[in-house]
Order: sequence, then structure tokens, then C-alpha cells
Amino acid sequence: MKRRALIAGASALPLVSVIRPASAQLREMRMVESGGKSGESIDVGYAAPFTAKTGIKLVRESPASLGKLQAMIASGRITSASVELGSGTMVQARKLGLIEKLDWAAINPMPMFPEAKNEHGFGYQYFSTIMAWRKAAKAPANWVDFFNTKDFPGKRAIPDYPAYTIAFALLADGVPMDKLFPLDVDRALKKLLSIRRDISVLWKAGAQAPQLLKDNEVQYAIAWSGRVVEEPDLAYSFSGGMADLSFICTVKGAPKAEQEAMNKLYYEMSVPENQAKAAGVIAYTGPSPALDPLLPKDKLGMFPTAKANKDVQWVQNAEWWAENGESANKKWEEFKLSL
Amino acid sequence: MAAILAERRHGFGFVTPLLVVMLAAFNLPILYMLALGFWSKQGGFTTEHYAALLDAPIYLRVLANTLRVSVVAMLVNIAIGYPLAYWMRGLSPRAQFIALACVITPFWISVLVRTYAWIVVLGNNGMVNRLLQWTGLTDSPVSFLYNELGVMIGMANVLLPFLVLPLFAAMLRIDDRLMQAAASMGAPPSTIFLKVFLPLTLPALASGALLVFILCLGFYVTPAILGGGKVPMISNLLDFLINQIPRWEQASALSTLLLIVTLLIFAAYRALDRKVGA
Repeated sequence: MKRRALIAGASALPLVSVIRPASAQLREMRMVESGGKSGESIDVGYAAPFTAKTGIKLVRESPASLGKLQAMIASGRITSASVELGSGTMVQARKLGLIEKLDWAAINPMPMFPEAKNEHGFGYQYFSTIMAWRKAAKAPANWVDFFNTKDFPGKRAIPDYPAYTIAFALLADGVPMDKLFPLDVDRALKKLLSIRRDISVLWKAGAQAPQLLKDNEVQYAIAWSGRVVEEPDLAYSFSGGMADLSFICTVKGAPKAEQEAMNKLYYEMSVPENQAKAAGVIAYTGPSPALDPLLPKDKLGMFPTAKANKDVQWVQNAEWWAENGESANKKWEEFKLSL
Repeated sequence: MAAILAERRHGFGFVTPLLVVMLAAFNLPILYMLALGFWSKQGGFTTEHYAALLDAPIYLRVLANTLRVSVVAMLVNIAIGYPLAYWMRGLSPRAQFIALACVITPFWISVLVRTYAWIVVLGNNGMVNRLLQWTGLTDSPVSFLYNELGVMIGMANVLLPFLVLPLFAAMLRIDDRLMQAAASMGAPPSTIFLKVFLPLTLPALASGALLVFILCLGFYVTPAILGGGKVPMISNLLDFLINQIPRWEQASALSTLLLIVTLLIFAAYRALDRKVGA
């Protein structure tokens, strides 16, 4: 979950243990999440109605990482009932047995998009990886244009994460959206190498992309949608973009009472009115198909799940990345050495 | 003799708590980390993680790149730091104090802030580039950042105090009369510097440079941001192996390799140091 967090140290610090009252009444419950505005949106959208109904306070801590979750499980002290994971890391966590299977019957959610209703996680927040550019630069219509540095001159910034970059190179090379997976990594890297002189920056932190554009350091960038849609000097397009989900998962071995409380929190996360409140804090949206009418009309174009945007995007295939991420990353590092 | 030994034993009681803390909180986790690299998924001993390092030359290439960048950063630091310390030695005590404060101040600013500050200064729209274009020295912005140059500038800025402080302290201890004596024997300034001053500062220079080099090996934030992601360093790879795909065993093997390389370099330095000392 690096997209909003600043670059954090590589160490997985041992978690400070929390002294829990022995009483049966659950007073508070902890969640590890990404922090920043996204964390605020959890408070405003979901924790507030949850606390009002149950009297249980939700205490957030950030940032979230798979390493942190693994360390918590290994230490045997489950200090947080839930954790936010990206779609890819969720698959990894499931394979390692770090998260509980969700009891969807007990959650009994309001209608939600099918990909968000995962066996092991609640897809609570859509975010998109899209193309963005300075308004002064020539507007690309699709990924072929984005990779055409002759007719669309300017420096490019791309994510330093193969899972957020490889597929776009394939789209630019003529692979149709519905035939992307399994990804041809070698072909994608070849395409990327063909414009290597114009790739100026590979970014790690989500905040870098809009800053690089604003500083005129680059003219085009692949960026996370919530980072660019509200920037007045920048233009963007969801066309051919990648819709991805952040999941909230219940930590393996969390106390029974907390797991039951989590189910109630999951329900609140499925209510479209709550999702609209959360979207007011950050331009990422929840999984309700009935959300569009509740969102401000003039801002509808900013949201990943707005019908006009969702229809032109494709959805990240986390399972493929969980299987092939390591080998893809090795090739990615090699590609970076040859830049 | 017996009294001294008793004294020593007496002192030992005071450091025992610290030793225990160091052992339990620092050394044991490191040992655990080292052991992880030899642990197979099924349980039991294995060397497969080390074999995997050799199978995927990219890990070794990134390690080599890290070593190369660290060596260059160390040389840059020496090139800037030595003249700086030498210049500071000749200042009046008051000016020395001010210069020293200028060297130390960056210590109090977070690495992240300092790193981003360079973007403001050296970016395409940054102060330096605007000045260059305003004065007509260049027509288009000069690329200071998002390449190895940017990484070097950032690393030099962060690490310079580690070299300058010990070097400056060592230079202050050199007796001026030694140089005067050499001059009275008719040695030209260049000979005095090369034959008298430089050898006296070499031990401090070597240890400071080694410190800078070892710190460079673990650099994370600065190369990631100022290098534009195009200067792969070993710590970025480790972050991926630990936090994004959970391959702690592989990360452990890679860190162990890094540790061994670092220790070898340190041993080489010690051997060299003893030779020079003898």
C-alpha cells in the first residue's frame, strides 16, 4: 500500500503491544491502514456510523504493509483486528494464512461490485492508475499516443512498480484490454525500452507524479487517479486505465468479539451513503453500484467507479501478479539497470 | 595488577544491563535474520536461497551497482570534505565555529526533507536552473536530478558531516610546528603537505571515508527520489522482498551477502591500517 504513504523504512518494526482491558465489553478495536486522507475517509465514512451504532471506537494506525502484518502474526500478539491490503498483497496474505475468510452471510452487505466481494477481503476503495499530463502538453487519446514520444513530445514519469506499469506498455503495443492477462512482460519491457530516452523518472511515492508534472519536470505521467484529478493545471483520462481495489481484511486469529465487530464495520462500508461521505474526503470510491447519484454531479468524472469511467477501464488481475510478481520484478530491475 | 583486574570486574557490573539489552534486542534478532536465510519452507536447513541469489544475476548486479555508487559517493565526499576540513583548520576560532555549525546543521533536518529540498533547488524549475537561464549561461534546463548526479549530490549532502567532523578534529590536533620545521629545512609547501600534513590526516580520512562508504550501502530514500528510480540500490530490492512479496528468506540471504561484503571491506581496511601503522 505504497500509493499514499511516503516511502517508509524497510524495517518491519515490532509492534508496540497494547494493553487490553480484560472486560468482555469491547470498547475499541484497531485497524492498520494507509493513513493520510484515505485514513480520514475511513473515519468520516465508516468509523463514525459504526461507533454510533456499536459504541466501539475504531483506532487507526498507519502505514500498512504486508511485512508489518507478517511480523504481527509471527509475534503471536494480534494487536489489530483488521488491516488494509492492496489487491496483490491480499492474495499473498491469503496464501500465507495471514487473514481470515470473511463470513459474507453474517456481513449481509448492500449490493456491491462482484470483484470487491472477495472471499478474504472487503474491497472498500477503488483507485485507478491513469494517464495524466500538463494542460500545456498535447493531449493523448490513448496509450498508443502516450507511448508515441515523436508526436507527443515530452518527458514521462512512470511508477517504479511493474504491477502498475507493465500492462500499459502492452496496451500501447496493441494488445487489447481484455487480452492483457497473462501479461507478456518481455514484450512490455521492450516497448518501454523503446522510449527510454523520454522516461525521466520512475516514481515510488504517489505524491511524486503530480509534483513532477507541476514542476514541469515531466509533461506526461502514469499516476494514481486521486492524486491528479483535482489538480487545476493537469489533465487526465481514465481511458484504458486500470481499476484496482484496496481491501480491508480481518487479521488471522483476531479475537472472536473483534471479528464479529468487524462484520458490522464491513456492513457500514457497503452502505452507499457512507461511501459518498468517504468520497468527499478523497476522490476514491467505494464498491456500491448505486453510488453515482449520491456523488456531486460536477465531480463525477473524477471518480474511478463513475459509470463513464468504470466502463473504459480494465480491472487489475491480482492473482496473476501473486503468481508472477517475483519473476516480473527481477526483469523490472534488469530493465532499470539498462535505462 | 590484581587491583586493576578487580577494578575491571567491578566496572563490568555496570555494563552488564547494557550488554544484556544489546544481546537480546539487537544481536539475537540479527542472528534470527541470518538463520532465516538457511531455513527452508518445509523446515530444516537449506542453501537454496543462496543458490537462488546466484541463479538470478540481477540481485548481484544490483549489489554491484550499490557498491559502485557507494565508492563514487565516497570519493565525491573526500573531494569535497578534505579541502573543506583543511580550509576550516586555517580559520580563526570564531570563523571555525560558524563553519562547523554550517556543516552540522543539516544533521538536524530529516533526510526526507533535505532530499525534497534538492528538488526545489535543482529541479527544472528550480533556483539554480532559473538562474542559469536568466544569466543566459544555458538555454534549456540542465538535468541535475533524476540521474546518478542527483544521487551523488544528495548523498554528499547527507554524508559530508560524517567525513568532515573526524577529519577536522584530526587536523586540529596536528602541531603547526611540524610544518614550520619542514619549512625551515627548505621544503616547498607542496612537499610539506604531501610528506607531513597528509600522512598525519590519513588515518582519520580513511576511517571517515569508510564510515561514509558503509552508510552509502544502506541508502534508501535519497537514491529512490533524487535518482528518479533509475539508480537501483540494494535496500530498494530488500524493501520489495520484505514488504511487497513476502520472501523474507530471500531478503535474509541478500542482506547476509551485503553484510559479508561490508565486513570484508572493513577487514581489508583494518589490515591496511595495521600495515600503515607498522
